[in-house]
Amino acid sequence: MALKAFFPTCCASVDSGLLVGRWVPEQSSAVVLAVLQFPFIPIQVKHLLAQVRQASRVGVAVLGTWCHHRQEPEEGLGHFLEGLAAVFSHEPWLQLGRERGSTFWSCKAIWRPMSPGASGQDQVMLIFYDQRQVLLSQLHPPAALPDRQAGDAPASAGGLAAVFDTVARSEALFRSDRFHEGPVRLSHWQSEGVEASILVELAKQAAGPTCLLFSFLLSLLSAVGACRLFRLWPLPSICSKLSTCKQVQHRLEHLSLIFSTRKAENPAQLMRKANVCVSVLLDVALGLALLTWLHGKGHIGQLADALVPVADRVAEELQHLLQWLMGAPAGLKMNRALDQVLGRFFLYHIHLWISYIHLMSPFVERILWHVGLSACLGLTVALSLLSDITALLTFHIYCFYVYGARLYSLKTRGLSSLWRLFRGKKWNVLRQRVDSCSYDLDQLFIGTLLFTILVFLLPTTALYYLVFTLLRLLVVTVQGLLHLFVDLVNSLPLYSLCLRLCRPYRLAAGVKFRVLGHEAGKPLRLLMQINPLPYSHVVRTYRLPSCGCRPGLSWSSLCRKLFLGELVYPWRQKGDRQD
Amino acid sequence: MEDEQSFSDICGGRLALQRRYYSPSCREFCLSCPRLSLRSLTAVTCTVWLVAYGLFTLCENSMILSAAIFITLVGLLGYLHFVKIDQETLLIIDSLGIQMTSYYASGKESTTFIEMGKVKDIVINEAIYMQKVIYYLCILLKDPVEPHRISQVVPVFQSAKPRLDCLIEVYKSCQEILAHQKATSASP
Amino acid sequence: MASRGRQEDSLPPSPESPHTISEGSSTCSTMTHNICMVSDFFYPNMGGVESHIYQLSQCLIKRGHKVIIVTHAYENRKGIRYLTNGLKVYYLPLKVMYNQSIATTLFHSLPLLRYIFVRERVTIIHSHSSFSAMAHDALFHAKTMGLQTVFTDHSLFGFADVSSVLTNKLLTVSLCDTNHVICVSYTSKENTVLRAALNPEIVSVIPNAVDPTDFTPDPSKRSDSGTTVIVVSRLVYRKGTDLLSGIIPELCHKYPDLHFIIGGEGPKRIILEEVRERYQLHDRVRLLGALEHKEVRNVLVQGHIVYDHVAMEAVLPIDKRLDRLISHCGPVAGSIFALLVVLNFLFLTFLRWMTPDSIIDVAVDASGPNGAWTHEYSCSKRKGEE
Repeated sequence: MALKAFFPTCCASVDSGLLVGRWVPEQSSAVVLAVLQFPFIPIQVKHLLAQVRQASRVGVAVLGTWCHHRQEPEEGLGHFLEGLAAVFSHEPWLQLGRERGSTFWSCKAIWRPMSPGASGQDQVMLIFYDQRQVLLSQLHPPAALPDRQAGDAPASAGGLAAVFDTVARSEALFRSDRFHEGPVRLSHWQSEGVEASILVELAKQAAGPTCLLFSFLLSLLSAVGACRLFRLWPLPSICSKLSTCKQVQHRLEHLSLIFSTRKAENPAQLMRKANVCVSVLLDVALGLALLTWLHGKGHIGQLADALVPVADRVAEELQHLLQWLMGAPAGLKMNRALDQVLGRFFLYHIHLWISYIHLMSPFVERILWHVGLSACLGLTVALSLLSDITALLTFHIYCFYVYGARLYSLKTRGLSSLWRLFRGKKWNVLRQRVDSCSYDLDQLFIGTLLFTILVFLLPTTALYYLVFTLLRLLVVTVQGLLHLFVDLVNSLPLYSLCLRLCRPYRLAAGVKFRVLGHEAGKPLRLLMQINPLPYSHVVRTYRLPSCGCRPGLSWSSLCRKLFLGELVYPWRQKGDRQD
Repeated sequence: MEDEQSFSDICGGRLALQRRYYSPSCREFCLSCPRLSLRSLTAVTCTVWLVAYGLFTLCENSMILSAAIFITLVGLLGYLHFVKIDQETLLIIDSLGIQMTSYYASGKESTTFIEMGKVKDIVINEAIYMQKVIYYLCILLKDPVEPHRISQVVPVFQSAKPRLDCLIEVYKSCQEILAHQKATSASP
Repeated sequence: MASRGRQEDSLPPSPESPHTISEGSSTCSTMTHNICMVSDFFYPNMGGVESHIYQLSQCLIKRGHKVIIVTHAYENRKGIRYLTNGLKVYYLPLKVMYNQSIATTLFHSLPLLRYIFVRERVTIIHSHSSFSAMAHDALFHAKTMGLQTVFTDHSLFGFADVSSVLTNKLLTVSLCDTNHVICVSYTSKENTVLRAALNPEIVSVIPNAVDPTDFTPDPSKRSDSGTTVIVVSRLVYRKGTDLLSGIIPELCHKYPDLHFIIGGEGPKRIILEEVRERYQLHDRVRLLGALEHKEVRNVLVQGHIVYDHVAMEAVLPIDKRLDRLISHCGPVAGSIFALLVVLNFLFLTFLRWMTPDSIIDVAVDASGPNGAWTHEYSCSKRKGEE
């Protein structure tokens, strides 16, 4: 297997020295982490390496020598470097060298002659990597890393994950910066220096108590929510139907997640926290914008003035529609008597509705004002409230739909069972199947009579059902769009997306290589770059769970239900199967 | 070392296969399709605009014309950025892995790298594609739990779709490297 | 052509391969064919046609021919698979319409079938079963492309109801330019000749055989309390389940010591269950449900009478049958089908213009004289002989 030497690009131009890094025998690859500069005292180097090894649990060792010929090659240096192999024994001993004015490097791996399996003329590959990017990036999907506490053995993750892991774990090595005057001088990637501004420090100091305070408040709130009073019969069922309640609960969960005093255990949890935080902030910001607009120039009054006429108008249109249906709609000839009965029934209903609206009209402005206040909890809450208000204001349409559907389903069921009677079959309840059965004459006669009546009355009912179902579907669609938007705000991982946009190497899907060139007799040089995660994957991986008030019906089952006249609800029914 | 050969794809179009041997353990195959031809671009644009003009004469609304221009531009951008692949590269490095890169006409490139430890084999397979039965080169990935099973099949040169003679060239080269890899990884 | 098709099935040439030279008598007329079996019915679907196709293909491969099978996709079994001895099976992604057979449009399967015929260098198309729409399509296309065709009919069919009228019409059209037809029994030959209005000379009979000694009743396993009748078949209309359900109560009434054991599964099982409940025959009629292939023998040897459903045979006077056939084969249908043939040819010309034969890759042979599997197979056979 060819030997691979991973070399950080930032060390390419430093002076000669020793290579410090980790040897991964399974991959036969050497991960160079830093270059140790002359002069040094071997004991101190060994001491430092032992310290790092203990802190990071990575087998850091001296791997070989690095020889950068700036001037004419000195004979003495070469001998000196060879002599170092005796001091720091390592298997194999790498000798990296860079000639002046040449882009190709020389690399030799020296195995001790007596060691088994030492194939002298191994191929060597030099792979350059950007230490900073590899250190900060996070591989997706995360390799199964053993816990830092439990596993003191080096990561068993295969292949390149091992390289990433090595670099990430030996952070302790990089802690010393350029101006540090220690006994040993290391050169490696160095951060620009920690931004120790006062604001950041203050925020860090304040974060703990704030979190405590807020989590206490939240626990108080949840204690109030859990009290016996809210467990009384109608409240839970109503709450589960109202999207506002659900949204508020959802947001409360988010807040408690943000302010929880526990530290995030892994990067995924940290990312989730950040995403939730950004989503809540954005939501509240949008909500406040809405609030200022609403309360700015008397928009509430205008809205309230517009709302009642709109409701009136809708009721009026419905009346017209009913009158049209009671005549000869689209030239169809309906059963006159049934048509009149149904039409009058629905007209009376609309009449009731109009009077209810007029009773309400003085209070509309007050109600809207309070609803507008809810926007400070976030835009999503306001939108959920809007969806609930829509549902309340179109209650009459819902009622019509239910009546129509009930009548229609009665007819379809009757027709289907009578059709079975025609064919000499019946539904066997015990065995859950259709059996053949012989009916006598009277039964057949009555069955035929009923069948005929039902068949002739079906078009009238079906027409009413169709019209009201379409109306109902319109309302449900509007509500669905609102919910879709709310879900979008709830579940979009904005922080991860921004990270992907500004720091693409932070979320890595893997690596990619570029061949830098090859010359006969010299090692192949490759450049390892971070392959950023595609946006679609970012969204899929970091999507926050939405509150899940989806209808959960497939299109085919929806159509089947509509055709058979079963009731369709926008929320999930208890009896619904999950398929 | 570099050489170039000309092949044809399954629809009879011309493909150029470039082979670069960087070192005995590192080879690159690069299949490039012909660029977007001016003729087809003009044809599509003219059709859209003629249709739009026909609609415009019917309903006298100038929105249609601006919409047509907009649609053509957006469609062209989308086509260049998401659909049209100019070049596909297969880079195989002994003991490191296989890397597939596709370069879109707009300059976007998407890369997939598969580590050698996950690769089980490279084979030529047959598949039914649209109304054709074609050969394609694919990489078989090992199941991480059971090393003898195949967990996934990754097709190579998905957009170029070269014919069998071209695939055999690439296949033989890849097999040389894989054989070397197996020989060296088994011996120590 | 008729004689060649015949020869291929009855007197095939000895296999042409270098390994047979050692056996001395290389009488080889080196005529090997590239045969394409087309049918809607193949494994994983189970039945007589399926096993017939499989066994026939294996025998032809042993003779040194190249054989491929084309069928439609079964659920997620689609694409190209290899079976024993390099038998290559194409599972084409065509929509299944009714009863495991694809929709017959005579056009939509042409591009794929043509591609396969060209890339496999097929010389003979062998279609199976008159219920298979794909088989008819393949015959139709093969004739447009100018290939030799053979058809094997596996079943008997009536003349009375709508479906049989339609199928017979289709059969008439697709068989009128088929080079050779094979039937599985003499009754079947008679039936096919009548249905398709064929010249009886191009129809030959190769009987399907069941080794009856395997199923001889075993006296030690039977119950002595009476006669036991065993029925093993798929419980569908075609196998006469309706007749069976009609006759069970009468027989049981007449012979009080008669027992039935019925194995198999199918849509008509419910009829048998109803009969059993209505006449209170729970102790005398046993329904076993679906049986594994290896269980069948153990069931069959328990009986006294083995009732082997081949099919129900529509017994009609011959002059009536002819009359009906003639009345259905009018000039209208003839001209319609002629038009279809012309359209098919135009479509083929269009396809040839779109993808000329020259740019279709030639497939690597799996079976046949220089197939990839032939060498391996003959090696293993020789090892077995030693």
